[in-house]
Amino acid sequence: MSIRRQLLVALLLALLATGIGASGATWFAVRKAANDLFDYHLEQMALSLADQTLATPAQAAVPLGQDYVVQIWDATGVLVYISRAGAPLPLLRGGFGSVSLEGNEWRVFTLHTPDRAIQVAAPADLRSGRATAVALRTLLPILASIPLYGFLIWLIVGQGLRPLTEIAGAIRRRDPASLDPLPERPMPEEVAPMVSELNALLARLREALDKQKRFTADAAHELRSPLTALQIQLDMLARARSADETRDAVDGLRAGVKRAGRLVEQLLTMARLEPQSQANPVPVALDQLLTEVATELEPLAEARRVQLRLSRLEHATIRGEPQGLHALVRNLIDNAVRYTPTGGEVRLALFRDGGAAAVVVEDTGPGIPAADRTRVFDRFFRLPGASAEGSGLGLAIVRQVADAHGATVELGDGEAGRGLRVTVRFEVI
Amino acid sequence: MRLLLVEDDVMIGAGVRAGLRQDGYVVDWVHDGVAAEAALDTEQGYALVLLDLGLPRKDGLALLESLRRRRNRVPVLVITARDAVNDRVRGLDLGADDYLVKPFELHELAARIRAVLRRHAGRAEPLVEFGEFRLDPSARKVFYQGRAVSVSGREFSLLQALLDRPGQTLSRAQLEERLYGWGEEIASNAVEVHVHNLRRKLGERAIRTVRGFGYVIGEAEAACRSGASSS
Repeated sequence: MSIRRQLLVALLLALLATGIGASGATWFAVRKAANDLFDYHLEQMALSLADQTLATPAQAAVPLGQDYVVQIWDATGVLVYISRAGAPLPLLRGGFGSVSLEGNEWRVFTLHTPDRAIQVAAPADLRSGRATAVALRTLLPILASIPLYGFLIWLIVGQGLRPLTEIAGAIRRRDPASLDPLPERPMPEEVAPMVSELNALLARLREALDKQKRFTADAAHELRSPLTALQIQLDMLARARSADETRDAVDGLRAGVKRAGRLVEQLLTMARLEPQSQANPVPVALDQLLTEVATELEPLAEARRVQLRLSRLEHATIRGEPQGLHALVRNLIDNAVRYTPTGGEVRLALFRDGGAAAVVVEDTGPGIPAADRTRVFDRFFRLPGASAEGSGLGLAIVRQVADAHGATVELGDGEAGRGLRVTVRFEVI
Repeated sequence: MRLLLVEDDVMIGAGVRAGLRQDGYVVDWVHDGVAAEAALDTEQGYALVLLDLGLPRKDGLALLESLRRRRNRVPVLVITARDAVNDRVRGLDLGADDYLVKPFELHELAARIRAVLRRHAGRAEPLVEFGEFRLDPSARKVFYQGRAVSVSGREFSLLQALLDRPGQTLSRAQLEERLYGWGEEIASNAVEVHVHNLRRKLGERAIRTVRGFGYVIGEAEAACRSGASSS
């Protein structure tokens, strides 16, 4: 539906309605004025006849048009004079009255004097006819001007909508891949907010796209390392001369595939997290989540001879996105288990701390030097000398989920200054 | 021939080292830029440096830059995941001799190492030829007086070191540096044993002893100066 056409039709209809209204009002006003005038005439005529001493109006100096009827009755009620042929109008009481005779409406004025009664009458439709003619004269110019108005409205509305047409044109002509802002020339205040909102949206889109591009580039880059390791092990396998060398190369291949698989898995987790920051939060029982993940990772801990211990578990429910929270807890515990040397221990705790729920994962591994505690949250950052297993994404995932939940992540020394203690604080509902 | 491998990725580093060892190279492996710098400062015997760029503590490019600023001319082969043309141009402009993008195959790495070493020695042809000697580094074969001679890995490396710049005398310490990596047990007479074995296969006059300084192939030109300055 075109705004221009809509406005044209609406404005013309409004104009027509106004014209008809004005004509109607005119018609009523004119008819009232005409009635008053006619009544005055009838009365004056009757009075002037009453003042005449002459017996018949034939001699009287009252001009009688076709439209007027005069009837005179004597004191005994006998019609002594009628100004036209045909049936007489009945005698009425004094004053104005209406009479219907032979299908015609008559307006009558009756004047009773001591010796006679004088009646002057005129057809009623004569008056309405005049009023209608006047009303039509009011309406006609309006009706006649409608095409002109229509043309003007068409032009003016078109002019007014021009900024919109221009923006539409600018958008249509754009390179579909371009996310550059639209030109913000001086614009009517009704259109300016739309353009600036559109530009803000484009900016957000561009930012998101850039982020995605960077992520893809980083991911491809990161995949090169495990691929390189695989390629080398494959070459070693091809040139292996003994059973030992073959076995070493196959072990290397297996480790490389595992590492690549883990990296891909982490990349997928990260990619899935992206749009979920705005997902609808639901209540999540942290104590249940912690137990669940600990059970999941128990085999890994056992394989590495690391003891996984739940030292304290209070009940706490937060609002959040279950998948993201699962990834957060899993990465925390997984990291702790992987970086803890054989025979070490990973302690998990969940407790209420005022309005917050604190998840604490503590290990007896090498810890993270204070200087690196900010950078470890960067994507693909690995500590110097860290094992090749790490994808460099674990803590980045933790940070991203925490941020989406308004939670804080704190890195500190483990018990007795050894190992790493990660504390994540959530707001409890 | 001794190489310094600078690579922070444990899996890649271990693989490259194992592969190059099979090719007869002695490989010292460090995991970060600072350790690489320390190794290059203390050891003189590296024939080539394999340098990853994304290194902890000190970036590979920064390391390369400071290396060249200090006029260290050791050949550098960059191995990296950074494949943008700008990165490659920058690496080469900072003084890298070649650039290999990950992932790569071991035999390509080996071929590039040989090519860099060849260019560094001022040769264009793949074979090392001098006098009666002909060495094929890619096949690790030695020909002497027109016949193939079977030699061990270390023996080949020793010949290669002496033929790198014929006429230059190398001391026992210099040869040990080029033949053995860190942590390798070296018998005090190891070099003498290798020389002895080579002479047995090639003839007494193939390698000459410069008394008090070391060993040389060909005429010992400026032997005293070179021997004195490097000890």
